[in-house]
Amino acid sequence: MSEEKLYDLEQLNSIAEGNEDFVTKMVNIFLDMTPGLVNRIEAGLQMQDWAEVRFAAHKMKPSVDVMGISSLCDVVRRIEGNAKAETNLEQIPEFYFTLTETLDKVYEQLRNR
Amino acid sequence: MTDNFSVFVVEDDEFYSEVLEYQLSLNPDITVTKFTNAKEFLKNLDKNPDAVTLDYSLPDMSGEDVLKKIKEYNSEIPVVMVSGQEEIKTAITLLKDGAYDYIVKDEDTKDRIWNAIKNIREKEGLKKEISELKQQVKKKYDFTTSIIGNSPSMKKVFAMIEKAVSSNITVSITGETGTGKEIVAKSIHYNSPRSKKPFVAVNITAIPSELIESELFGHEKGSFTGANAHRIGKFEESGEGTIFLDEIGEMDINMQSKLLRVLQERELTSVGGNGTVKINCRIISATHKDLAEEVRKGNFREDLYYRLLGLPVTLPPLRERGNDTLVLAKHFIDEYAEENDMGRLKLSSKAQNKLFKYPWPGNIRELKAVVELCCVMTDSDLIEEEHITFNSTGSIDTLLQNEMTLEEYKNRIVKHFLDKYNSDVVNVAKRLDIGKSTIYRMLQERAV
Repeated sequence: MSEEKLYDLEQLNSIAEGNEDFVTKMVNIFLDMTPGLVNRIEAGLQMQDWAEVRFAAHKMKPSVDVMGISSLCDVVRRIEGNAKAETNLEQIPEFYFTLTETLDKVYEQLRNR
Repeated sequence: MTDNFSVFVVEDDEFYSEVLEYQLSLNPDITVTKFTNAKEFLKNLDKNPDAVTLDYSLPDMSGEDVLKKIKEYNSEIPVVMVSGQEEIKTAITLLKDGAYDYIVKDEDTKDRIWNAIKNIREKEGLKKEISELKQQVKKKYDFTTSIIGNSPSMKKVFAMIEKAVSSNITVSITGETGTGKEIVAKSIHYNSPRSKKPFVAVNITAIPSELIESELFGHEKGSFTGANAHRIGKFEESGEGTIFLDEIGEMDINMQSKLLRVLQERELTSVGGNGTVKINCRIISATHKDLAEEVRKGNFREDLYYRLLGLPVTLPPLRERGNDTLVLAKHFIDEYAEENDMGRLKLSSKAQNKLFKYPWPGNIRELKAVVELCCVMTDSDLIEEEHITFNSTGSIDTLLQNEMTLEEYKNRIVKHFLDKYNSDVVNVAKRLDIGKSTIYRMLQERAV
């Protein structure tokens, strides 16, 4: 079934200036490293270690931006922002849920691209 | 600038460090080495990268601390900070700590980082060029080679220059036009401990009198019509270097009192400004006038005269330098021949005699011009008497220097006037107050 494409490689392609190998390499790196960061956010949430949540979300920002996952750009920033300020912490699990749900679809789409 | 340029990318985010590496290595001259943590990077700092891009949030150390460590090791290494967020406060702190630039990870990062690296490379290139040029300038103004002469009067000048070099004293240089006052000033500067600081030359006659104050002391924006921006003056520009005030004798009397005040207080106020600025530069002034005489005539303030006098260096006119004329002539011939690939040129003995006898009212500047013309005029490697032409503005001194008989002088004078008035004998006779027939007789005798 065809669903809405959740990523956009336009920025990556413009960086690559036509080098397909580079695009593929970056997609693979994204697929390899993002689950680790997601796990760190989850671990941080469980331990209520907001510094850890903030750090992992912060590290996720550039790749989410470059991969053009527009629905998550705001989400990671809010996780980072809330964790940094330690305000509205109750919202973070909800954001985290959106994050993992979207990323799972993105992984799938990227693998079948 | 085709040499290899090594950039260390310190970034724990694998995704982003790949992007950076890829973007930087699009330029084939750039070699990128990646580090994922501060510890590993600092261990490799002794490989002296040409530039570093440093992620602000590393797992093992804060970007600020890493930056400090780099600067402690070698403050010359340019560091571009790369951060995931724009925080003005952090950016300012980092820039204060010596970061070259602060860049946020977004879609413009590529262009910005490219620009930063490009600027760093240009800056490094310029730095190298400047240090090479500084060396050259120093060589050029080594006064034992740039100022030439063996005459006793020049030996005295050398002794004075040496005194000036080893002290901070104000120097005043006098000498006729073309005797090399500016070269002496530069020699003093470039051989003194101030040599690495600026040498700023100001020619008083070249600046309209109403602008001289702002030129010397600077002005604030809007202090007069046309003052569109704040501008520092020549005194401030020279910093801890040397300011050279050429043709100081031409300064108008109002400006003289302002200058005097500045020299006394060692501080200045810019035009339209309120605060004062300390001045630290050495002052060298020069004039072709006899300043003492100008003081007597009331054209130059006596107090300023003494304030500027300091160590007086008097440059003798070329005609009083004996054999130096020929030494200099040979030097200029060699210099010109070398610059123009002409091989070795020699002066015939008659040509030497001609140069030697001429009074050189324009001094070394004139000698240089005359000699260079000779080099062009000759067709062989020998410069003969006829290749030498004097284009002197023709003072009476020059004429008298030829030591002719009165008869010969008379003929010369008549010829000059005949040439000037298109051989109009009647007119010339009237002007010289002699009979027409005298001129006709001279013409008949072919004396003129």
